[in-house]
Amino acid sequence: MPFATAHTVSLHGALGHLIDVQTDVSPGQVGLTLVGRPDPSLNEARDRCRMAVLNSRLEWPSTRRITVLLSPADLVKRGTHFDLAVAVSILAAAGTVPPRALAGTAFIGELTLDGGLRSVPGVLPMVLAAAERGLRRVFVPEPQAREAAMVPGMTVIGMRSLGQVVAELRGEEVPEAPPVAPMSGSRLLSWRGSERRDELDLSHLVGMADARYAVEIAAAGGHHLMLSGPKGSGKTSLAERIPGILPDLTPEESLELTAIHSLAGALEPGDGMLVRPPWCAPHHDASKTSLLGGGLGQVRPGELSRAHAGVLFLDEFPLFRTDVIDALRQPLESGEVTVARRDESVTLPARGMVVLACNPCPCGEYTPQVSENRCQCREAQRRDYRARITGPVADRIDILRHLTPIRPHDRDDLFGPPEESAAVRARVEAARLRQAERYAGTSWRLNGQAPGPMLREHWPLERAGQSLVDDAAYTGRLTQRGAARVHRVAWTVADLRGLRQPGVAEVQTALHLRTGEPLLLSALERRAG
Amino acid sequence: MTAADDDRLARAALSRISEPGDLRITRLVNELGAATVYGGLRLERDLEGVLTDVAARLVAVDPGRELEQAARLGVRFVVPGDPEWPHQLDALAAAEPVQERGGVPLGLWVRGPLRLDELDRSVAVVGSRSATTYGAGVAADVAARTARAGFVVVSGAAFGIDQAAHRGAVAAGGRSVAVLACGADRVYPAAHRALIDHLAAEGAVVSETPPGGAPTRLRFLSRNRVIAALVRGTVVVEAAVRSGALNTANWASRLNRPLMGVPGPVTSAPSQGVHQLIRVGAATLVTSGDDVLELLGDAGEHLVDEPRGRTRPRDRLTVRHQQVLDAVPSERTAATDSIARTAGIGLREVRTALDRLERDGLVERVEGGWRLAALAHT
Repeated sequence: MPFATAHTVSLHGALGHLIDVQTDVSPGQVGLTLVGRPDPSLNEARDRCRMAVLNSRLEWPSTRRITVLLSPADLVKRGTHFDLAVAVSILAAAGTVPPRALAGTAFIGELTLDGGLRSVPGVLPMVLAAAERGLRRVFVPEPQAREAAMVPGMTVIGMRSLGQVVAELRGEEVPEAPPVAPMSGSRLLSWRGSERRDELDLSHLVGMADARYAVEIAAAGGHHLMLSGPKGSGKTSLAERIPGILPDLTPEESLELTAIHSLAGALEPGDGMLVRPPWCAPHHDASKTSLLGGGLGQVRPGELSRAHAGVLFLDEFPLFRTDVIDALRQPLESGEVTVARRDESVTLPARGMVVLACNPCPCGEYTPQVSENRCQCREAQRRDYRARITGPVADRIDILRHLTPIRPHDRDDLFGPPEESAAVRARVEAARLRQAERYAGTSWRLNGQAPGPMLREHWPLERAGQSLVDDAAYTGRLTQRGAARVHRVAWTVADLRGLRQPGVAEVQTALHLRTGEPLLLSALERRAG
Repeated sequence: MTAADDDRLARAALSRISEPGDLRITRLVNELGAATVYGGLRLERDLEGVLTDVAARLVAVDPGRELEQAARLGVRFVVPGDPEWPHQLDALAAAEPVQERGGVPLGLWVRGPLRLDELDRSVAVVGSRSATTYGAGVAADVAARTARAGFVVVSGAAFGIDQAAHRGAVAAGGRSVAVLACGADRVYPAAHRALIDHLAAEGAVVSETPPGGAPTRLRFLSRNRVIAALVRGTVVVEAAVRSGALNTANWASRLNRPLMGVPGPVTSAPSQGVHQLIRVGAATLVTSGDDVLELLGDAGEHLVDEPRGRTRPRDRLTVRHQQVLDAVPSERTAATDSIARTAGIGLREVRTALDRLERDGLVERVEGGWRLAALAHT
């Protein structure tokens, strides 16, 4: 029978579609047609496949007409990972490979002209999608076998060349082949080595009791945080230590994050499953695309998605481009990014904590204490700068903290040595556990992600606490959105204190955290653990 | 046995059998002397009804052993007439009582190397237990700054502002004294053991209550009067409307000592008491340790520069020259006569003015007239 079907996967954001690559080899005008909305890079598969087959010393049906259909035909397909499926399906249709061997199997990989199998981005999410659709075996480029093997219940076969794949399908001995080069990384925007961050501990910082607490709350509930303060007040130092107080990712988060990084092509062969929360700190020159995702061809996840379940730190936030700042609104609210283009709309998860840092003015020196003020900015500059901080993005920030420069007596404080990250992490973990139990069976995991209406209905504040929020909203201290955020933070405060429900004190603390007012010292003392 | 020894023993005994700041006792001692009062009570003379109150305690008291035991705990008893006695406390004799508490303490039980007569340059930094991070920060700042200037910082040992003040003073390498409502040998609150032990080792822990005494509510009120009377002035950092710190402030006012308040946000509950003090004119508003030093330092010692913004080149001009400068458009060039018209000043004077402004670097002469120079934009 001159007909065969091979399976592969097409990715649209984090959504994977199973694609049937059907090939018919029959008499007719000699040639190869590829139909089913391939994009240019996929169209080139025709040439790559032909040369790869010939250079693998396999037989190419050169005297007949070859028709390859990528079905479902209405989906736009792009990428080079279809090569292997196309080549295998042609070989099967031509009788080189038994078509039965293709059943229940997905083929992923790009072919080189000499028949080598090259790595492609997004293997993990593709294999995930294949597993979900009932496939039980997958052929992938050898360097990516580990990545694919993270999916449970999947038989992964890592191969170096088309020749090896064909031999395996035929049940023959697999020939030797030169090793495949791993994919080149794309870590252009991560400007701080992760090794350096591993050594950062909260105990190295002095003072900042207020901001430390805020960071702990933000970490426990997955809340967005804004740190404001003059140069040298420790905003960056503190933010960099947030990943250190986050617990390891849950298996679910781990798979999601690894899939995203795989899509971004940022997964290195040795990486394996990502288990630690990520840290992304793009520079303020970053484009909207690099932050939110997009790009030409395959939609690549931006920094916002790569920081999923971790921390996205935007230092000098008001210096980011206005279109970038505006574009942050939706993801901050919904925890996902939607990149809409001409004929498709792709949604990627982005449930990281967003931490914004800003100075009081463009030069970073402004302080209201006249005698210490060295600010050179004009009032109009300061106003423009502040307008960016107080815009609609700020309304979506749960916690606002003003930092003051470290005083000499903070450094020499004899009583109350600064706590270590591990101790804080233990409390954060306990608080997250409480949330996981409470939100079991819902689509969210943390207070910061819980939808406002659901909270009000199922996890309300007690009456006195609610009226505190209502009063603040009534007098204009809080916006409606702000009221919902206070509600979420109040739950986190209660979770950290090990309470069953937030009371007045917890709501008060949440209000202070949201409005940037100083916290009561008693709020800092009352942590469970 | 000398009269002074008699007096000390009598005071130790009275201190043990009566409540600190009991007006009847402090007045009687002031009028008759401690030995006479104690002797009278022992002879079962019911002076002003005191005997009825203290009869039970009187039988058990042994002042000699009392002092010995205190000494074993490292606590000394400082009484009026001792070289170490802080004379600023004597002002309490004339101060009006608060809630039936008042008068000069019978003596102070002291643990720590700092001598009380060194408290002539001292400042109390007090405030709420339910303080905010802002208040704690300012209290530490004020204490650190004044301690560096050689002032001894005096406060309680409670959570919140008290603790922050001591931490600031100690971290700045200064000296700090805690006045307790319980015995000077005790640690209350227990969480502050490290702090209180440190003060006992480097500064002083002081109490009007003899060793072993418990911190009762009323003893805090008498304690507050000791704090206010020991220092040159009192700074209240944060105090809600019903805070004990306001009681200390009240004593400072009665003693006519400088009372200072650090403001907070008007929306902040822990600052309401301070704002009230400032509003009624009882306290002077201070924002930093420097402000405090100016008020408490010797005349002319710690003068604070008036806070003011940067002087800009424009500020030095006469009004008429400013008028001309204002008439020079910011974006384009203007001819001299146009500037004169806009300014409403005669052409000749405008010419002179523009020459002067050019010399100051505020305007530039260009083709077709004048325009603002870069300096004028600052």
